[in-house]
Order: sequence, then structure tokens, then C-alpha cells
Amino acid sequence: MIRVDYGYMNARIRGMKGRLLNRDALERLINKPDVEGVMVELQRTSYREEIEKASVRFSGMSCIETAVRNDFTSAFRKILGHVHGEDAEKYIRILLNRWDVQNIKTILRGKNIHAPAPEIMDCLVPAGELDEVTLAELVKQPDVKSVIDLLATWRIPYAQPLTRSFKEYFERQDLPVLEYALDRFSFDHALEMVKGDAYDNQILRLMIMAEIDVTNLKTVLKLIRDRAPADEAGQYLLKGGISLDLAKLQSLVRTGSIEAAVKQLKGTPYEFLGKVPAEVFIQEKISVIEKELDKYLIKKGVSQFFKDPLSIALAVGYLWAKYNEVTNIRIIARCKTADISEKELREELLYV
Amino acid sequence: MVDWGIPIGAGIAFGMGAIGTGMAQMKIGSAGAGTVAERPETFGLMVVLVAIPETLVILGFVVSAMIMIMLE
Repeated sequence: MIRVDYGYMNARIRGMKGRLLNRDALERLINKPDVEGVMVELQRTSYREEIEKASVRFSGMSCIETAVRNDFTSAFRKILGHVHGEDAEKYIRILLNRWDVQNIKTILRGKNIHAPAPEIMDCLVPAGELDEVTLAELVKQPDVKSVIDLLATWRIPYAQPLTRSFKEYFERQDLPVLEYALDRFSFDHALEMVKGDAYDNQILRLMIMAEIDVTNLKTVLKLIRDRAPADEAGQYLLKGGISLDLAKLQSLVRTGSIEAAVKQLKGTPYEFLGKVPAEVFIQEKISVIEKELDKYLIKKGVSQFFKDPLSIALAVGYLWAKYNEVTNIRIIARCKTADISEKELREELLYV
Repeated sequence: MVDWGIPIGAGIAFGMGAIGTGMAQMKIGSAGAGTVAERPETFGLMVVLVAIPETLVILGFVVSAMIMIMLE
């Protein structure tokens, strides 16, 4: 292993960050009347090449989706290429694994509800280690069992937790069983990889622990909404969060109401959830709270940019900033397709 | 009898300046190469930035030359 030359890599990352869409560019996209307008505007940005490539096969929303997805994937692959064979490669792989888990979950969800393969494929982001061809093969499988079997045949590590939990899933027909097993495996694996006091380890560890907190809070919200018994909560909660331990999380579930649970978050980094409009608590619209948590995570990720410039922090910050940009472009394009008003569109945007 | 202290002093002044310049250019050069790879329009600026630490070695050279003149 060779210590990475952060001077070179981070200079490239800063250059790539300079090409991210700024607030003005996003404003111009928002002000376009339709999807075609958004496409034309994107051709004036760093997305031009991907839009041109995608427009050969697709048009409208599909073209934007494909272009944005390919651009996102190539950004990840480019950074991985810079650190190939060096110490920092493991950190980038941890960040990439997030997308593998996300993609496997999407495929399992799709197979669980018997969604058509092209529909599942559209929802995937092949930014992780599982490339588009691998994912396409997984999507072709007829059911959840076949997907897990194929992962096991290819000796992909994610097959382990899925195989172990499949019996329970089959008996209860409850997909969260598999999703939880996958989350626990990936977070445990990631935390194992970033043990130690090195600065890079600390940066990654704090981000992973924050992600565990956010995942747990989302689970708590769902458990409260579904009136799940508090004693069952433990089996769906992940260990290793930064601010919320299992006892605290179980006490949140025991409150029995979303509003009371959010009030209990006072004094933690998540007390900002208390500012959510009251009707969200009354109507139990947990999607609004989930979005606030996603915004928090993105802001935390992007803020890594201001840490040590000769560390992995810049790569972490860039990848979160890119994720934010891609998500915002997709939201804008989808809102234009659905003819949603500008006011509602701005509310939908993750973090501008 | 030659006084070796003076040429050794001149050598240290020049050598340390050169090493310092090398270290600075190593860092600036790699970061500059990364920047130029992403944004070729910054090439001119990067050449200037890479050249700035040369002042260190020039200063070392001047000091060592002055020491050598003292020897004469």
C-alpha cells in the first residue's frame, strides 16, 4: 500500500467541485418551463457530454435520468481511479458500498412487489462496486430468492446477511427483515474498516455513525407510525450511532407518538426536527421528517469540505455534494414532467 | 591552510535552499498537475505558482556566493 498523494487527488476534486452547479445554475433549471428546457440548460453545464450521449437513445425525462445517473457513476469511478492501490482506496470503497446496498435494496423491493425489470433498472444508480451489467443480471432474476442466490454464486459479501435472514423473511413475508440485515452488515463492515485514530478514519467513522443515527431515527418513525410494540424495536435498530444509543432509541419508540418522540430529541443534534410544522405530526407524514434528516446528512457530508485539505475529507465532501446536485436535478426534472408549481418544487428540493 | 568552514557553510546555504525548494515544488507541482488536469485554463497560473519556491534556492545561491567571496 502507498500513501495517497492528497495534493494531487484533492486538487482534482476541487476542480471537479468547481464544475458542480451553483445556486444560479439551479435557479435557471427551476425557471425552465418544461423538461426539454431543462435538457437544453443542462447542455450548457458539465452534463453536456452525458446529455448528448443519452439523447441518442432516450428523450425527455428518461434522457435526463440516464445522463445524470451516468455522470454520477463516472464521478465516483474517476475518484476511485485516482486512489487505486493506495491507502485511501478503502475509504472510497466504503462510500461506494452505500450505493451497492441501496441498489440491492431497490432490486429486492422491486422483486418483492413483482415490479417489471425495466422499472427497477430505472431506479438503480450503478455508482458502487456492482456495475450496470451485474445489476442488470440481478434485476433479470424472477424473485427475491433468486437474487440472493445469484449474489451468493458470485460470492458477493452482501449474500451472507441476506441468506441468513431469508428464512425469517419467507415466514413473515416482511421485507424490512432483509433490509435491516443488509444495513447491519454494511454498517458493521464499514465501521470495522475505519477503526483507529488516523484522521481519515475519524472523518469516515463520524459520517458512518451519523448515517446509522439517521437510519435508526427513520426506523423509529416507521415503528411509531405502524404502532409496533416497543419491545420489538430492538431487532430493527442498528448499533453504533453517534448520538443515539439503543436505550434512547427504544425510549423514543415507547413514547408512542411522533411528536413526543421528536420532543425527546432535544439536546441531540436532531432537535431541529422540532421545527417541523405541527400538521406533520398530526397527520403522521413521516416523509417530511425523513427529508429533513436527509438534508441534515447532506449538509454534514458537504461540510467535510472545510476540514483538513490534505485528507480524505474533500473526497467525502465532494461525493455528498454531487449526490445533492444529482438529486436536485432529478427532482427538478420530475416536477417539470408532473407540471408541479414552482413553490412546491422549491419545497421538494433537498438542499440548494 | 584552507579554512573548510567557509565552503561548507556556503554549501549548506545553497543545499538547504535547494532541498526546501524541492519539497515545496513537490507539493505545489502535484497539486498543480491535478488542477491543470481538471481545468487546463489554469496552466499559466500553475507555472507561476510552481516557480515561486525557486526564490528560496536563488536566495541560498546568493548567500553561498557571498560566503565564497568572503573566502577570497
